[in-house]
Amino acid sequence: MLTRYGTLLFAAGFAFLLFVLFTSQPLGAPPMLAGQALLDEAATTVGAANIVTAVVLAYRGIDTLGELSILFAAATAVGLVLGSAHRTLGAGAPREPGGFILRAGVDFLFPLLLLVGFYIIVHGHLTPGGGFQGGVVLAAAFVLPVLARPTETLSHKAMARVEGLAGGVFILTGLGALAFDRAFLAPLLGPGQLGALLSAGTLPVLYLAVGLKVGAELASLLLRLSEDEADA
Amino acid sequence: MSHSLLALVVALPLLAAFLPPLLPGAIRRLLGPLALLLVAALGVYLWRITLIEPVSLALGDFRPPLGVVFYVDSVAALFVLAVALVTLLLWPWRGDTSENLDRKQSLTLVLAAACGGLAVSGDLFNVYVFYELAAVAGYGLAAGGGTAAARVATFRYLILGSLGSLLALLGITLIYFRAGTLNLAHLADLAPQTLHDPFGLAAFFLILLGLGVKAELFLVNTWAPEIYATAEARVSALLAGLVSKLALLVLARLLVLVFPLPEARGALLILGMLGMLTGEFAAFRARDIKRMLAWSSIGQLGAAFIAFSIPGSLGLAAGLAIALHHLLVKPALFLLAERWGGGLARLAGAARRSPFGAALFALFALSLIGVPPLPGFWAKYLLLSGLAAQPDNLYLLAGLVVLVTTVVEAVYLFRVIGMLHGRDAAHSEKPQNMALDMTLPASTLAGSGAFAALLLAVALAAPWLTAPLARMALQMNDSAAYVARVLPATATSEATK
Repeated sequence: MLTRYGTLLFAAGFAFLLFVLFTSQPLGAPPMLAGQALLDEAATTVGAANIVTAVVLAYRGIDTLGELSILFAAATAVGLVLGSAHRTLGAGAPREPGGFILRAGVDFLFPLLLLVGFYIIVHGHLTPGGGFQGGVVLAAAFVLPVLARPTETLSHKAMARVEGLAGGVFILTGLGALAFDRAFLAPLLGPGQLGALLSAGTLPVLYLAVGLKVGAELASLLLRLSEDEADA
Repeated sequence: MSHSLLALVVALPLLAAFLPPLLPGAIRRLLGPLALLLVAALGVYLWRITLIEPVSLALGDFRPPLGVVFYVDSVAALFVLAVALVTLLLWPWRGDTSENLDRKQSLTLVLAAACGGLAVSGDLFNVYVFYELAAVAGYGLAAGGGTAAARVATFRYLILGSLGSLLALLGITLIYFRAGTLNLAHLADLAPQTLHDPFGLAAFFLILLGLGVKAELFLVNTWAPEIYATAEARVSALLAGLVSKLALLVLARLLVLVFPLPEARGALLILGMLGMLTGEFAAFRARDIKRMLAWSSIGQLGAAFIAFSIPGSLGLAAGLAIALHHLLVKPALFLLAERWGGGLARLAGAARRSPFGAALFALFALSLIGVPPLPGFWAKYLLLSGLAAQPDNLYLLAGLVVLVTTVVEAVYLFRVIGMLHGRDAAHSEKPQNMALDMTLPASTLAGSGAFAALLLAVALAAPWLTAPLARMALQMNDSAAYVARVLPATATSEATK
């Protein structure tokens, strides 16, 4: 009882603090020192028409590597927790394939999802989207068939290989810059022509790695959770 | 001088964490230790050059306030070395299955990369990313022990940790909203005009509470005893020894660079005193050796917070000494406590089963209390002399707290040492069972023996270490040099218009 009131009190105090902080600030005119400078020079320096991508992969590429690693750590941790505990429980309930409409629908959707996913990834430096968003679509493409036909699961080993390869490509591309006397994660090959599919140097390579890694990680995470549910 | 090799501190362990599924078994097991050895070598190299002059690296070659910067002074370099060495000493060589061993090794490498990143990062949001990375890897490792108790404890830790991350992120958002930049050097430059007011202080307190979760700050440290009592000894050692120190280092850097204000120092001082009092008294009451060590680590980190609250390089030197000393002692104690869990009474006579283990425990306990020739004494000496030099009465009160808690510390640690050398166990009902349980395995003894060797080396070299320590503290305190190195004058004027 006491903890509940305590929590309530904390939440109320916290809300009041936020209210005071935000009302004390003038609305709508934050200083944009780094932000404005980025907007001014990103297009010419990096060559990505989508400035968000220039920030995510070029200016703050190390943050993106960190985010990728966080996802990797989370997926690994889930594997560690679920992989060891429920193996011994046995196969659990028998799995039945879905109905005809579900299976046909998934067969129809699979290539489309692949196409959309890869399209979003390879145009990440031109239009809104990119590796994270496209990777999620790719994960959906590979998880749907398993939902329709639970007997045929994907191999976790293969997924781990894709994941490892993508992560390796991201870091090695970053380290490749060292060979040209540049800093880690510096975009190579020059900015190219703004708006062209082959522009912004190595950023599309990085985004492809991000997309594959996110897709493989998310797919194996979802599958592990669904396997666990079936087993329990 | 910009140093492109700096990025390897983060890149190498991550690469070694990602690649294993692609490699055959034999190479796979060697990759992690190899990466850590390389980082350790890099740490030694960096420490040697940064004692003369700090180095920085603009990642991606983008000029500093725009891109992310790594900044390495001798303090950061020493922590890079410590991260690699301690992770190597606590490396998971064996697991229940090959798959789980792969996962644990990957998570350990990710943790090492995140800790290295925290030591070298010069960008507030980048710090948050690495902090979150260390947190997630820590949750995985803590739950990886496999027992139900470990999972329940980890779930609570996850909730508190997420709340902490959220608070820290909110604080960073407020700073960015107010100052328009995330670069620590740029913030240090702008702080006097933009952040030294109640708004900026509120942001600092949010970050303090948020990062304080990992640094076992008073109020947000309730997870520590549960986690350390249930997780594997290796993992407790990593979390208590390494991760807490890196969170502390980031907070100290923020305090020196962006918020050198009496209010911020006061908060650190008061929370540190409360942490020290609650931690040491709770350790006195604890009836289980792992919980006792956990509470004692909360107390020790409280002492480090007190030290960092002392203005000037004297305080930084004391804080660094306490943090580094704890970094050596606590992991070794957790390793020794691996087989000594459960009630304290069960320890009776354990010294006969493993005399070397009991001797090591006594050595670390004496250093923790602060018995003269051992490094713990010098750490506490620096802290007390720093506190005594301050005119403010609150600092004198903190000195009193340190003295009183030292007595408490001595009482409960000597109680354990006495228990280890007691005589009950040999005559108890199940001596067979007891012998199996209490004898420490050779790997544990080797691991904590290595820490003991390091500790003794520091004790012997103490007269020669004062000068580098003072130099490190001076370097860390020199925020003008930090700004000048990261933002040469042209870049500053251009970015600020």
